[in-house]
Amino acid sequence: MPADLEEIRQMIETALPGAEARVIDETGTGDHLRAEVRAPQFEGLSRLDRHRLVKAAVRTRFEDGTIHALSIKILD
Amino acid sequence: MADEELTDKVRALIAENPVILFMKGTPTEPRCGFSLRTVQVLDRMGIEYGAVDVLPALQPLREATAEIADWQTFPQLYVNGELVGGCDIVEEMFASGELAGLLGVEQPEVPETPGSITDLPAQSPPLDIERG
Repeated sequence: MPADLEEIRQMIETALPGAEARVIDETGTGDHLRAEVRAPQFEGLSRLDRHRLVKAAVRTRFEDGTIHALSIKILD
Repeated sequence: MADEELTDKVRALIAENPVILFMKGTPTEPRCGFSLRTVQVLDRMGIEYGAVDVLPALQPLREATAEIADWQTFPQLYVNGELVGGCDIVEEMFASGELAGLLGVEQPEVPETPGSITDLPAQSPPLDIERG
């Protein structure tokens, strides 16, 4: 089943209060998504840790196979 | 729980190879677009690197790298024993010149990400831009 982009967006914004996220379906198949995220929690973190925070927010959708790939763009 | 023997093997590979890419498929036959893009960046850097195809043992390797580097998706690039990141981070660091610095090589001349418009062959006609 293709991912619910709105649900994914909300999962990111819920896990990172104050964040703004935009989630798009990169391939039209509903399982390769791209998230552009701006979040106060990123302040002072490495690139790796910023990506870890975003991935952790949607981990359940990786684990249940809904998402195969998530490309992440961190916005300043 | 990660398989300890496999995790130790992965740790050893990371320790023994200054630049190593864990990817889906092989550098000559990537099996995923993100792995392909990461290979393209490394190839443009003109360096030698080790590559491990994770597909034959995807889930155990996810568990192993989760334990080693708190990272479960592939591709994963390690340089000098440290996780650099996946495709997004590698491409960003390539574009900014940080990757060249990390690898100790000169930045390739066109600092664009692979597949960008500047990769068009030189003989391509200029793009016609319609103005309306």
